[in-house]
Amino acid sequence: MKTVTFRIWRTDANGGGKFVDYTTEVSEGMVVLDVVHKIQAAQANDLAVRWNCKAGKCGSCSAEINGIPRLMCMTRLDMIPIDKPVTIEPMRAFPSIRDLATDVSWNYRVKTKIKKFKPRTPDAPDGSWRMQQEDVDRVQEFRKCIECFLCQDVCHVLRDHDMKSNYFGPRFMVRIASLEMHPLDRADRVELLAEQAGIGLCNITKCCTEVCPEGIHITDNAIIPLKERVVDRYYDPLPMLGRRLGGRRRKGGPG
Amino acid sequence: MEDTHDVLVVGAGLAGMRAAIEAYDLGADVAVVSKLHPTRSHSGAAEGGINAALGNASEDSPELHGYDTVKGSDYLGDQDAIEILCEEGPGDVFQLERWGAGFSRTADGRIAQRPFGAAGAPRTAYAADITGHVLIQVLYEQLVKRGIKVYEEFFAWKLVEEDGRCVGVICWDLLHGGVKAFPAKTVILATGGPGRLYVGTTNAYACTGDGMGMALRAGAALKDMEMMQFHPTTLSPSGILITEGCRGEGAYLLNKDGERFMKRYAPNALELASRDVISRAEQVEIDDGRGLDGNVFLDLRHLGAERIVERLHGTRELALTFAHVDPIFEPIPVRPGAHYHMGGVETDVWARTTLDRLYAAGEVACVSVHGANRLGGNALMETITYGRRAGRHAAETALEADDAALPESVVRDAESELQALLDRSDGERPWRIRDELAETMHENFGVFRREEQMTEQGEIVRSLRERYAHVILEDKGNVFNNDLTQALELGFLLELAECMVVSGLARKESRGAHARPYDFPDRDDENFLHHTIVHWHDGGPVLSTKPVRFTKWEPQERTY
Repeated sequence: MKTVTFRIWRTDANGGGKFVDYTTEVSEGMVVLDVVHKIQAAQANDLAVRWNCKAGKCGSCSAEINGIPRLMCMTRLDMIPIDKPVTIEPMRAFPSIRDLATDVSWNYRVKTKIKKFKPRTPDAPDGSWRMQQEDVDRVQEFRKCIECFLCQDVCHVLRDHDMKSNYFGPRFMVRIASLEMHPLDRADRVELLAEQAGIGLCNITKCCTEVCPEGIHITDNAIIPLKERVVDRYYDPLPMLGRRLGGRRRKGGPG
Repeated sequence: MEDTHDVLVVGAGLAGMRAAIEAYDLGADVAVVSKLHPTRSHSGAAEGGINAALGNASEDSPELHGYDTVKGSDYLGDQDAIEILCEEGPGDVFQLERWGAGFSRTADGRIAQRPFGAAGAPRTAYAADITGHVLIQVLYEQLVKRGIKVYEEFFAWKLVEEDGRCVGVICWDLLHGGVKAFPAKTVILATGGPGRLYVGTTNAYACTGDGMGMALRAGAALKDMEMMQFHPTTLSPSGILITEGCRGEGAYLLNKDGERFMKRYAPNALELASRDVISRAEQVEIDDGRGLDGNVFLDLRHLGAERIVERLHGTRELALTFAHVDPIFEPIPVRPGAHYHMGGVETDVWARTTLDRLYAAGEVACVSVHGANRLGGNALMETITYGRRAGRHAAETALEADDAALPESVVRDAESELQALLDRSDGERPWRIRDELAETMHENFGVFRREEQMTEQGEIVRSLRERYAHVILEDKGNVFNNDLTQALELGFLLELAECMVVSGLARKESRGAHARPYDFPDRDDENFLHHTIVHWHDGGPVLSTKPVRFTKWEPQERTY
């Protein structure tokens, strides 16, 4: 047992807030969410916070711990310095609801703008398909996303420049990649990527990849291949030249 | 009233969303209320997979799946319900693939299937070790595609019963505060199980049995409440689940001497015996001093790093984070933990409860496909197949029914009841009651059950209920009041605990998850081949029984 101070962001009724210190005993193996529960039960019954699965699967308990976006349930106390106060604050890229709970509903609205899965016709009479595991693997990596929105929280475009109306953010690049690279899908989302989703605004700093608790290679496996698709469609020199010369596109050579 | 719907689904896990999709596709005006954003629901934590007799890995049939499930249930499962599950499951799995669920593949490109406990063929389709997570996202995408209304972060608190019918649900608005009533022609409960009754549980914090509690208070019957499944491989003390998929891939269970002890308990199936058999074996090893710090060991080392990383990636992450162990190099310490409640709200094969216009599907329900012990992989299949059937029947009934209306007094009564709770200034905070309940249930109503411990637990629960009648809340506010919702959840848990304990005392035999090795070590088909039924009457549980429905499988001795 060790005594540790946790400095937790508490909001007030007027929309402001401040850090409040709570000192509590912790034991080996505890995660930050355990501590928050303990503080809520013993010292701050009125602390507002979201949680659910306690195992890094539901994406509810996102917060900034010592300034770094993390899941509270997956942050073991031996992963962070505890000899000085540990700060716990809500994700700052989203509006506050109360204390550690934030309004992430913008993300849910963005999700509805993405063209839905559209499979090719089944390969077999029983309505099933044939796919190779290596093709499924790509999609399964993106499917690991738990929508904790830590990547959205850390993304410069969304956080520092507040350009939520111009860029969907890394989470939805992963979502679009999971559809675009799905071996059965037949829909086309390249125009969406280039325009409404604003993929061009990402300048590949990889901050999103660094904070992803599921270890998804967001930048390398999702965003960069999607950028390539956009470039192929919009900036491939041959069709570009064709469009300039004749306003027509032809296969196989310049206009 | 704008918030009136034909079909109202309570809970947005797999069963609830599947029900909503089906009801919508049949033309009903359907809405979903959930205390969480749908993809945060606990179905998403299911790792291992979904059972359907596709026959992709070896010869298989719905008949064989049915037999395995009946035997697994220790003959307490209702065989008509089991046959429906096994017949309709394969089509439901193809449907999920059509909606975008990318299942793992065989070498020739079909859906891969891995062996799971007590299954006569490799039958469990999976998406790596995130099957539930993939399915919950796929169903949510279908909900969004249809524009089905979801009332997110609404806490369902009361069912409204009028003239013997369910006519709506009363909720607390978590984000803004205040009571909100939702009239509906039919209501489907899909709120999951009550795993939080136990301190060591794989269940998420939201699994507080709300739907069972609401149904019980509204007069519906609960069934087989004594049947709580303990999963053999959970981490202590957190209860984090280590998937059965590990043993499906070939992992061993070892005691502290390094012995594969399952050979003494299930010489043929070994680590792939049913969960009740393995949890009991582990508990005997631990009780007899062959465990270490209350654990036995799950050994994956011989599977090799490549297979562990490819197929059990999430499991490795959990072991690293919560047990400080890398399963590539060291065995994982595991113990039995509360995992799944086979019992629940009594339903027929169309998910109808004993209260008219009220349906239930998924873990909240007891149809019963799991009887006294559920097989790994059957829960996800049940959520989909019976979620769909609930949605179908509820929609068809609603489309023929007159408009639902709630009596005006119900909202006022609910508001004043909550206000009385918020205004109370003298009493005890709920937290200690919650912790004492979870600790004593673990101690006295766990893997093995003794008459005197169950009797004592009944007294403990009754005294906790008396204390609960005087709980006070510190948070008096409206916005995201965790203090209030956790107190309401505790109210449900306490009543369900009492139902479980009295049901356990009445079943004087050992069957499936209900093991009484000290006084009634054997199954007693002559006296107990029936379901336990509980009603709530005058502030306490009243028991009765109901016959098990048989079709073609006679009870036999059960060995693995």
